[in-house]
This record gives sequence, C-alpha cells and structure tokens, in this order.
Amino acid sequence: MSNYLDLNIKEIHELLVSGKIKPIDLVNESFRKIDNNKLNAFITLDLEGAKKRAMELGEVEVPQDNLLFGIPIAIKDNIMVDGLRCTCASHMLENFISIYDASVIELIKNAGMIIIGKTNMDEFAMGSTSETSYFKTPINPFNKDKVPGGSSGGSAVSVAAGLTPLALGSDTGGSIRQPASFNGIVGMKPTYGRVSRFGLVAFASSLDQIGPMTRTVYENALLLNIISKKDFKDMTSFETNEDFTRLIGKDIKDMKIAIPNYFVSDVVESKVLEVFEKNVATLKKFGCQVDYVSVNHIDKAPILYQIIAMGEASSNLARFDGIRYGLSLKEDTLEDLYKKTRSAGFGREVKRRIMVGSYILSGENAKIYYNKALEIRDDLKKSFEKIFEDYDLVIGPTSSRTAYDVGLNNDDPLRSFMDDILVMHANMGGFPAISVPMGLIDNLPIGMQIMGKGMDEAKIYQLASFIEKELGGKHE
Amino acid sequence: MSDYQKTIGIEVHVELKTKEKLFSPSLNLYGNLANSNCNIIDLGYPGVLPILNYEAVSLAIRAATVLNCKIRKKQHFDRKNYFYPDNPKNFQITEERTPIGYDGYVEIDDDGVKKKIEILEMHIEEDTCKSIHSKEQTLLDFNRAGVPLVEIVTKPCMHTSREATLYLEKLRELLLYANVSDCKIEEGSMRCDANISISKDNNLGTKIEIKNIGSITNVGLAIDYEAKRQEEILLKGETLREETRRYDAKLDKTILMRVKETGNDYRYFPEPDIPYIILSDEEIKKVQSEIPVLAHIRRNRYLESGISLLNANKLIANKELSDYLEGLDINLKTASNLLLGDISAYLNKKNMSIFDSKLTKDKFIDLVQKLDKGEISNKNFKDILTDFMERDIDLDSLLKEKGIENVVDNKVVLELINKVLNENTKVVNDYLEGNPRSLKFLMGQVMKESHGSVNPKIANDLLIKTLEERK
Repeated sequence: MSNYLDLNIKEIHELLVSGKIKPIDLVNESFRKIDNNKLNAFITLDLEGAKKRAMELGEVEVPQDNLLFGIPIAIKDNIMVDGLRCTCASHMLENFISIYDASVIELIKNAGMIIIGKTNMDEFAMGSTSETSYFKTPINPFNKDKVPGGSSGGSAVSVAAGLTPLALGSDTGGSIRQPASFNGIVGMKPTYGRVSRFGLVAFASSLDQIGPMTRTVYENALLLNIISKKDFKDMTSFETNEDFTRLIGKDIKDMKIAIPNYFVSDVVESKVLEVFEKNVATLKKFGCQVDYVSVNHIDKAPILYQIIAMGEASSNLARFDGIRYGLSLKEDTLEDLYKKTRSAGFGREVKRRIMVGSYILSGENAKIYYNKALEIRDDLKKSFEKIFEDYDLVIGPTSSRTAYDVGLNNDDPLRSFMDDILVMHANMGGFPAISVPMGLIDNLPIGMQIMGKGMDEAKIYQLASFIEKELGGKHE
Repeated sequence: MSDYQKTIGIEVHVELKTKEKLFSPSLNLYGNLANSNCNIIDLGYPGVLPILNYEAVSLAIRAATVLNCKIRKKQHFDRKNYFYPDNPKNFQITEERTPIGYDGYVEIDDDGVKKKIEILEMHIEEDTCKSIHSKEQTLLDFNRAGVPLVEIVTKPCMHTSREATLYLEKLRELLLYANVSDCKIEEGSMRCDANISISKDNNLGTKIEIKNIGSITNVGLAIDYEAKRQEEILLKGETLREETRRYDAKLDKTILMRVKETGNDYRYFPEPDIPYIILSDEEIKKVQSEIPVLAHIRRNRYLESGISLLNANKLIANKELSDYLEGLDINLKTASNLLLGDISAYLNKKNMSIFDSKLTKDKFIDLVQKLDKGEISNKNFKDILTDFMERDIDLDSLLKEKGIENVVDNKVVLELINKVLNENTKVVNDYLEGNPRSLKFLMGQVMKESHGSVNPKIANDLLIKTLEERK
C-alpha cells in the first residue's frame, strides 16, 4: 500500500518527474483512502474521469516547473465542473449536472491537476458545520463526534484526512477559514476579485470568494498562483500576476502586527486565547511589533453579515424555481409549482435565510436594514484600512472555540453565526485572510487568522509560514 | 367639449441595436429559430455572472443625447426581484436608482405650435424572454432574454392624444436616425405604454396604464377611448381604481388586465456583480460625435435643395434611401427623383435593400451627373434600369452595350426639329402668338419622332431657339 499522498508536494513532484510514480498511482491512492475512511467528505466522486485524466497525463512529460501537475484535488460542490453533478448539497440540485466549467476549473485542469470529486458542504454554503447538507454530514477526522465546520467542511476533511492534498472551498463569511481551523489545515480567502467567481453558485455575491485549502502554507500559495487570474467573465475580478510564494520563509523581524481587542475579548473561549497568546509571545520574541488596537464597528460584523448575505442570497437563489433545471414538482398553477418545488427543494436553514433576506429587502426595510448595513460595512472597511496604514497584518484566533459536538447548533440558528464573528470582517472589507494551525486544544486543532490589506496575500503567507514552522501544532 | 382634462404620460421600451446582448455574448437578433441565440447566462444558470456590454452603454448615451437628457456619469445597476417564467433569474437587472439619462425633452410640432415633451428619465435594462402561449402550454423563447433595452419615461405632461402620437413619432424618428434602435413596433423593438388620467382641476386623477399598444396610431385611439370610458364612469358618480389595461384594436376598446396592487414590492438592491459604470467627459463626447445626422437636419437640407416637402418626408420615412444619400455631393433633387421613382419601384418589386443592389455610390453619382448635364435621358435610364441595378457595370459601358447612344449632335437634332415644325405649322403659329402649351406639344412630337433617342434637354433648348428665330 503506497502512501505517496502523505508526502509534500515537492516530494511527490520529484517522484513524478523521475518517473517512479505516475499520476494514476496518486489517483488510485486517493480513491482507496476515500473508500477506507468513510468520512462523507464527498457528495460525488469521479472515479472514471479522474482515472482517464490520470492516464492521459501519464503519457506526457511532467513539466519541471509545474509542481501541481498530476496532483489530485477536491472541489467544493458549489463550483461547476463540466459533466459532473453540482448539487450544492441541496435536494434542489440533487440531479443537476453541470454543462460548463467554472473559470477556476479551467485553470485547475490546464495546470494538470486531477479532479477527484465534489465535496460535501452546508446546503448552498449556508451554515458553519456542514450539517445543513442534504447528504450525510462529513466527519471531523480528529474526532468523529465533532463537527467538521463549514460550509466548506468536505473540502477541509478531504485535505485533513489526506484524501487529497488540495481542495477548493468558498468563503462568504468564514466558510474556508473556520473549517480549516477545525481540521488543522491551511485555508485562504483571497482578496475579493483575486479569483474569478464565474461558475461558483452564488450565495452572497459581494462576499463570496473561492480559495485554496491545503496542508501547508507553501502548497496553499502554489494553488493560489494557479487559480488567481483576471477573468472577463467576472466583472469584479482584477488583473493579477504575482508569485504568492515569494515571501515565504523570509524574516518577519520588525513586522508590525495589530490585534483588535475584540478578537481577544470574552467572545473567545479562554483555552483558545491561551494558545493564541503563546503564539503572540513567540512573534514578539522574533522581533515583531505587536499592538492591541480597537476597530470601529468591529462587533457589528455578524449583524451586517446577516443583512447583506441573506438579502443577496434571497435574490441569488430565486432562480431555482423548477422551470429550467433542478428539482421541478409539476403543479396545475404556476404559483403552486413555485411553492411546491421550493418548499421541497430547499432545506430548513436555506428557507429561513431566504425568508429573512426577502423581508430585509422588502419596501421600507431595504432602507432601514440593507442600505444602512451597506453604509456601516463601508465604515467598517475604512476602520480596518486605517489600521492597515500603520500595521502590516491583523491577527487573531480564527474561531472562538475548537470543533464542537455534532448537533449542538441545531436548535439555535443564531449560534452558528457566532462561530464566524472573528472571520466575517475579511468578507465585509474584501480583505485577504488565512487560517493557519496554531495549536491543539484537547487534541482538537485551532487556527490563527492572519488578515492583510487588499492584495497583500504574499505578506500573509510570509507570516503564516513562520507560524507553521515555529509554532503550529508544537504546543502541548 | 368635455369638462375633464386628460393628462398623459408615456413609457417606451426600445431595444438597442447592439451586436450582442446586454450581459452575455449571445447575438442580439430578431426572427431567428427559437432558443438559438441563448447561452447559460441568458438562461440564468447557477454560477453565471453578467458581463456588461459597453456597446449598449454607448447606444444609451446616444439615445440620452438626442432626447436632450442630462447624462449621469456614475451609475450602477440594480436588481428588480420578481418571480415570473419569462424572467430567467427571477430578477431583472435594471437601473432603478441611477438612470443614465434624466431631465430631457423631445420637441414636437403640432401644426406650427412647438411644445417640449419632458422626459423624466431614461434607463438601461435587460429584456425578458418571450412567452408563447399555445393551448394549455406556455413556451419560452430565450432569444429575447437579455436583449438591451432603454426605457424612456415622460412626465405626465401631455393633454391630447395628438400630442402623444406626435411625441411617439418624433421619438421614433430620433432614435431611428441616431441608429440606436430599429424601432419596429411590430417586431417589439419599440413598445409603448400610456398612462392616462382625467381631472377637472389641477389635481391629477386616478392613473390607468395601457400596456404594450400595437402602433402609434393605436396609442392615440386607445387614449381617446380610455379618457371617454373614465369620464363616463365619473359622470355616473362612480370612482376609478388604478388599473392596468390593454387596447384591443379590433374592438377599439381597452380591456382590464389587472387591478394594481398597492405596495408592489420588487425588493430592489444594487447589483453586486457589476461594478459602477464611470463615464468620463471624453467618452461621452466621443460617443456623441459618432451620432449620425438626424432626421430634421436632413429634412431641412432636402428642402433647401429644392426637394418638395412631400418628397423630403418620403426620404426621411425611408431611412435607407436617406442614409444612401448621406455624404453625396450631387444635385439632391435629381437624386431624390430617381430614388423615390424608378429605383424605389425596382427595389420594392425585388423586396431588396439599395445597399444590397449593384448600384454603387460611384455609379449613382455618375448617373445623376449625366442626367443633369443632359447626356442621357430618363427614358434611357428606364431602359437600362434592371441591368444597372443588378450588374457590376458602369454607366458608359452599359449604354454602349445596349446600343443606346444619345443623339447629341445638334445638326441631327435640328433636322428633326425642323421636320416637326414644318409638319405642325398651326401649333407653331399658336406658340408664336404666345400660347406656352404649344411648346410642350411640339417637344413631345420631337421626342416621338426621335423615338426618345435625343437628349431632351438639348432638344428643348434647340427647339426654343429655333422657334424664337421664327418670330
């Protein structure tokens, strides 16, 4: 039994270049592990397609400079892959087969990565435990009784359990970083517009961003190198051409780091704070300037998130009406067709958010809630930009606690938003932010979030690689 | 005379003549096989995003300019949310809060009385798909889904159906000549809704909307019918409610479609997938400099070159012919007679565009000049018309090939004239005694005698000269 997938990307690449292994070996190993582990990480597996692709790639010379060539990757099931089911973990799209590739998928394919399958998630990315999936809940490989986090739970589990070295997730209010934290992996939400959203099923268009989920910081930067590209199909994407690995390993001495007081306040569990403070002490020891700062409106992020994300979601999900694609329950009248299809097709949490979102945008409410939220969002963004005038990076714990018991949030929809109180700001401001493992608490991983100003991913990777090297997982 | 005064506001949707749709690269074409011009964006597939077509923005700037609107330099799109099968995403992308044009006007001329019809605003939006109702089923054609539109909204500032129809005719002419739209009501590229209320005082009455009226004439008829209907209801002591109606041309009646519900809630919010459009003065000026010569300017030029008002209007009504004439430095009167006469007759018979014929502008210029100089006759042209329109051959070669040689030799013509005069001494005497009609008869005889082969202008000049010599 081979365990090539446990090697790092550079080592795998050397084996591929030397011809000692072929892409098909990696694919076979990946499927074998998926079978053995039974973690419900995937909704759809593409055994046939992945093997075919691996055989094709096995015929060509491995490009020396393309470290991701032949590497298996898992794709969150809200990103379109031509010919594969794209369910968004919803009954509504249970049998929906995509007829096109998302722009990121074209880039993934062109770079010679091999798509293993589509990963489990919260339905339409709405949730932070992956429990709102219409399918079986994915399992946290650290402890099967704990949630894997969400919404990109399946992608995080796939990487954490070594099923695939790479995965794509999407992050609207922490959906890459929180499961990365819960599963001890590295997850980056890039600057808004860095990665094309064309082909990502929209949840909240002004917040959504696709990002890489990997085992290491370096591999994360490599994957971002591939998927970031200006795309004429996404008007919010921007010109981007840089090597995100370029600062990795560089000295962090004299780096100026801000910690918002809110990120270390009593909204965070004390055990998490302890681990975080140990990391901070080390950063200081290595010559970083660390200051505690207050940021205007920082505590309002969950409220803004609910208003903006749900408002946009209510509109984005209107297209699932049973007329052109997806679930369709035929009825005599148009209204009954809509009602029956949407009642049956969407799960409870999705329906709740659509209803709240519709209410928020209705009549005068749009002014009271939505427009007001946009104003405060702008102020919040400016508050952080002001911090970034004086500091290179902002850090804090990614989540206020480690992965918790399955079923804990079920009775309280608001509770799941509280998971993301430390990560929503990056989405509100369009800032890049990563979660990198910073330690273990009772054998469960916890991540540190590092946020930078817009376009500053390389600097984030620089500090993240330091945390990874000096600190991550090295605490008792 | 009624005690009630009508107040009318008009909303017009015009399809912009872009190559592609507003938010997708699908072709914007009318009359193709159903669902042949649509892609995943037009169908509202999961994961797709709108890609703004800047050609539509340019055409909207043109439209705003010819409607004398102010142009907003910073705009964003909004989503109008409502469920309907012809609305693929169940929201329509429109400019609710920042219409590209505002505070404009269209000047109409009501028998010499000029009036400015005020434009409240003009915004860009996407068209819905077309529902085709057949028996129990409704079929959807997505070729129209996402076609760019501008909606032009007037203030409630018109008071007669004549003002409304004059406004629409003028609006149509402006947009057609600015090359913004085909403005074909029958194909749906121009759609008119009228809002009508009546009142005895300065307070506006209850507004009734008549949707999608099939022609400009019918807008007038619908307004008059509707105003009468409203007056009858009010005279009975009943009250009106806000309604949407349609006009049935066969019955000459408006028919209730639906009663307006209060608080129609479209849950507008800014479209997050499209960044703000920021227009610079240079961009706006550049677009404005590309606006073709408008109808009223062309009409004035026609009149100045001696073309009759009737013919000038005929040319304007046939935009293709007017476009053909643009930029030609020739005798416009001769040219217009040719275009509206034999050439139109030929084109109509063949159901053909002048631009698809072999009548190149060079050939046409040559023709007009030779006619003016009298080097060929209208009769000559009639004889070669079909070949001239259908073949790649220049005028001289064609005349030679057909053996048509104008008798331009004065001696030969003079012989003919003397022969005619000698055979018609009585008429000659009439002429000499001052009867001008005799000249026409004699000229006819000369042409007849020559079987039409003499140049009429030369013949006419010589005839007069010869007659004068006999005085």
